[in-house]
Amino acid sequence: MEEDEFFGEKTFQHYCAEFIKHSQKIGDGWEWRASKDCSDGYMCKTHFQVKNGTAVSHQGTSDHVQTFLPVEEALDAPLDDFEVTETTAAAEVIKYEYHVLYSCSYQVPVLYFRASFLDGRPLALKDIWEGVHECYKTRLLQGPWDTITQQEHPILGHPFFVLHPCKTSEFMTPVLKNSQKINRNVNYITSWLSIVGPAVGLNLPLSYATAASHDEGNVSGQDSSIE
Amino acid sequence: MAEEQESALQLPPSTAPEAEGPTEVSPETATPEPPSSAAVSPGTEEPVGDTKKKIDILLKAVGDTPIMKTKKWAVERTRTIQGLIDFIKKFLKLVASEQLFIYVNQSFAPSPDQEVGTLYECFGSDGKLVLHYCRSQAWG
Repeated sequence: MEEDEFFGEKTFQHYCAEFIKHSQKIGDGWEWRASKDCSDGYMCKTHFQVKNGTAVSHQGTSDHVQTFLPVEEALDAPLDDFEVTETTAAAEVIKYEYHVLYSCSYQVPVLYFRASFLDGRPLALKDIWEGVHECYKTRLLQGPWDTITQQEHPILGHPFFVLHPCKTSEFMTPVLKNSQKINRNVNYITSWLSIVGPAVGLNLPLSYATAASHDEGNVSGQDSSIE
Repeated sequence: MAEEQESALQLPPSTAPEAEGPTEVSPETATPEPPSSAAVSPGTEEPVGDTKKKIDILLKAVGDTPIMKTKKWAVERTRTIQGLIDFIKKFLKLVASEQLFIYVNQSFAPSPDQEVGTLYECFGSDGKLVLHYCRSQAWG
């Protein structure tokens, strides 16, 4: 088995560290949290969204603001290049949390997420789904994950929604194999999160893509004939 | 390098509404383009206006994904990744439940609503944007 297919916890932590390095550069807000005994840890990010109206612009994502407008409302609003729409008086702030943990049983990263109002009331999964943009919905419903389940966070113990990881290695393998062909080092976490993130409204700024290839100075766009 | 095949087939602009939601700027019905210019067309013989409205994209298959006969396409800058995914899925006749992913730098999947024009600015070189596409299994 190739090394790139064996994704151990150390490798996971290494890629997370690289990922966070870039996140800090661009102020994307990801952090590492170690467990109490520091034997393992996870990567997390929190962001706030105003429901029913304004989308909070993300730093570094001027091209793709995460909008969580309910679909019906979105159809009415004259959205143009992610213009901010009128906020209703009853706008509420929602806190979204995304955690990336390592699954020992599947030996892949897993995405945990949850959303709650500021007073702590959690959002039900269907409320989170309602806010997912149409094009993400497709990915959410048809993506290479069996299901979204609610599980206890392995370290925090609170209930989170989880994108089931059983298919992860299946969709990651072709990408990794392809990169291996041209001796390009891929940050597994970056690639994986770029794929699964949008299904739950988490977008990675494009600069992560170039960060991943800086290590060995490979210039993108040089197509070699690998057909 | 002679792997690009530029065929003469002209892709009719799709009139079917694409399931992309209101932030999608590129559907042919929404843009004030003359009807003759398809959002995705092969080749690069584009009449160049003040700014080149279309960018050249070279599509490369990953894994066991079918290879497209036409790999080089001229695509409107405002076309989103999701729009491109839908197009490739139709072109390759994938079933609806099969998912297709597109990557830049062979490793990073841009968000579905990312515009190809932006990707071209960031990752294009030699006058084109190379995108890899990969089919994932049809999940039950």
